[in-house]
Amino acid sequence: MDLVVRLVYMLIFPGFLFLVFYGMACDWVDRKLYARFQNRVGPPWFQPLADFIKLLSKEEIIPEAANQNMFRVLPVVALAAALTSFLYIPVWDLTAFYSFPADLVVVFYLLTIPTLAFFLAGWNSTSLFAALGSLRTLIQLFAYEVPLLIVLMGPALLAGTWTISEISAFFVQNPSLLGVNVIGLVVALVAIQGKLERRPFDIADAETEVVGGTFTEFSGRLLAIIHLVVNIEMVVLASLISAIFLGGSFGLGPIWGFILYLFKTLFIVTLLTLLKTLVARLRLEQMMKFCWKYLAPAALFQLLINIVVKAFLV
Amino acid sequence: MIDKIVRWARVKSPWILHFNTGACNACDIEIVAALTPKFDLERFGAQLKGTPRHADIILCSGPVTRQIKDRLTRIYEQTPEPKFIVAVGSCACSGGVFDGCYSVMGGIDTTIPVAAYIPGCPVRPEAIIDGVIKLLEKIDTPLPSENATAQGIAIGGDRN
Repeated sequence: MDLVVRLVYMLIFPGFLFLVFYGMACDWVDRKLYARFQNRVGPPWFQPLADFIKLLSKEEIIPEAANQNMFRVLPVVALAAALTSFLYIPVWDLTAFYSFPADLVVVFYLLTIPTLAFFLAGWNSTSLFAALGSLRTLIQLFAYEVPLLIVLMGPALLAGTWTISEISAFFVQNPSLLGVNVIGLVVALVAIQGKLERRPFDIADAETEVVGGTFTEFSGRLLAIIHLVVNIEMVVLASLISAIFLGGSFGLGPIWGFILYLFKTLFIVTLLTLLKTLVARLRLEQMMKFCWKYLAPAALFQLLINIVVKAFLV
Repeated sequence: MIDKIVRWARVKSPWILHFNTGACNACDIEIVAALTPKFDLERFGAQLKGTPRHADIILCSGPVTRQIKDRLTRIYEQTPEPKFIVAVGSCACSGGVFDGCYSVMGGIDTTIPVAAYIPGCPVRPEAIIDGVIKLLEKIDTPLPSENATAQGIAIGGDRN
């Protein structure tokens, strides 16, 4: 029985199937809203699914000079890391499916693995453009990762725990303290744009500069998996932000909690799309400057506020 | 059944690569115009891709010059199957006014198989969209030989 429950967790909900389809839904919401913001009609609802099936049916080309096994395995590694990280984030309940002390750190590092896998994949594909793109991916990592981690530390400090479920539960008990983290929420949203490599930080796969960026040499099934990973990462990050900065599902029980979860994650996706529409692509050094000059100090300022609040109010 | 689903997905998600084979840039500007929000190709699922590895449809503009011939062949071979080449503009269809010139091979079909021809000098964005949609319809109803790439479909017309 325990095994069946675990298999359901892994394969259906909240594992593979749910994440794949919700990732596609988020992708569609993102693209449709982006189109509407640009006064276009936008793609139909089945677009991400059609893209996925089409990519699955296409020929798969692997460069001769690349390491064949690594080329095949790296997208799957990224997928596995992205899928695993979701198990520790509470969805409808206040407790996650698997939860242990300090799982926030684990989720954070699991979310770094796709980026590193993409870097290796680009580097391994022995194409000039892929190498350039993957180096940019890695350089970008140093720009957004630090502000994001600092900003996630804020609510953790306030709640006095590194466990995502407990942070979420803390804010359900003290909803007024959610207002303290507004700067943190903004910083996190901007940093996530970097993590997902979306505008203004889509430097790594800027098609006008480096052709296809990191994924230049990927085609067919492997490209489908990569797109899937990016979509799932978006869902995981939106859920993480919702659990940490917005109080998660507020413990409303399975049905209402789940509806609230969908509402909050889609709200975060909408904010991300709005940001993507508003801004143009930065250059690499502009991004570095922005992240270290403004984003990281803002994150530190948020931490300071949290320390003061923790010392005098809680 | 699976064939049907795959064909449906293929028609609903044509990713485009734009390749200039020696055009005067007029057709290229029109292709870029067709991809702008005004014409919104994404409603058909089309996306402009930077690399041939991601592309399904290659929009070629211009006559094939001797310089570009090898590159065009290489781009064609780099694209994963199934792939469809669209000749955009009169020059791409037949060589146009440059036909017979010492430095020019002729139309795109002198070098690689073409699936659709869209005439015009330059073609209007509407004609490009019309041509690509007609190509997609053709993919949706396969020919008896199941090989639309080699057959060549004359499509569209100049709306100037």
